[in-house]
Amino acid sequence: MIAFSRPFWPLFLHVLGAMTLVGAVLAVVIVSYVAWRRSDLAILARTAFWALVLVGIPSYVVMRVGAQWIYSKEGYSGNGDPTWIGIGLGAADFGLLLLIVTTALAFWWKRSAKPLAGRIVAGLSTVYLVLLAVAWLAMSGKWG
Amino acid sequence: MSTLQWLVMLHITAAFFLVGGSVAAGILNALSIRAERPSETAYLLRLIRVTLPVIGVGAAGTLIFGIWLWHEQRYGIGTFWIWASLVLWIATNALGAIGGKHQERARKLAEQLAAAGDASSAELRALLRDRQGNAMSWLAGATTLGILVLMIWKPGS
Repeated sequence: MIAFSRPFWPLFLHVLGAMTLVGAVLAVVIVSYVAWRRSDLAILARTAFWALVLVGIPSYVVMRVGAQWIYSKEGYSGNGDPTWIGIGLGAADFGLLLLIVTTALAFWWKRSAKPLAGRIVAGLSTVYLVLLAVAWLAMSGKWG
Repeated sequence: MSTLQWLVMLHITAAFFLVGGSVAAGILNALSIRAERPSETAYLLRLIRVTLPVIGVGAAGTLIFGIWLWHEQRYGIGTFWIWASLVLWIATNALGAIGGKHQERARKLAEQLAAAGDASSAELRALLRDRQGNAMSWLAGATTLGILVLMIWKPGS
């Protein structure tokens, strides 16, 4: 509909999904670190879990679908792709694993209220946030 | 990397801060409404403060690097989509500030209730679900989305 001449929708969905995903992971980082001091607050574990389930995972899907759509539309094939695309795809694939494991651990944290679970969620979500930052820097700066 | 690549990277990084911080604040706000006890509501609303520096850096960075890019890419002074984005940027900040004041009112009431037995009240529930107060935050989100549409679409260029 808008701007047939340039891939508006795939790029829009990719960027929107990525930015929303960063927001969801940031929320998880905040509540899981706060929980180190306030392990009595069950709301923090619930917030981490629902932020990942209701915002993080849907955002990942939107980001990844947009990425694949624009990848196909711009004629990349996997042979001789620019470095920044490799970094983005690598971050997306490894990030999916991190997202699933972090969500499973957030569920364990919510159910068990064990501080250890919250601490693992804090560590994993921090790693994921750093990975997302590397991906957006590489892709926006067209590294390589 | 060229100056242009650096500016684009910094501008987009600032946009990630602005949108990411706003989404995180929105998640904390939305879940505070569903919290069972006022102490939980107050705690989540207090945590929104952690996102404010992130949002602030993002808002400043998008503006500074955006204007720098405007000059660097030699877009005309009357470029519609840039002016429209600037208007939406101002609206986003104004609406976000109004929405933030509403959340602060809710947080103060939740803290009072938490200190007095931690039982919820009809007044707190009404304040948390107040359509006008929450509408400001939703509208701030909508105007941010509008900026993103304009930045990617660039109508007329």
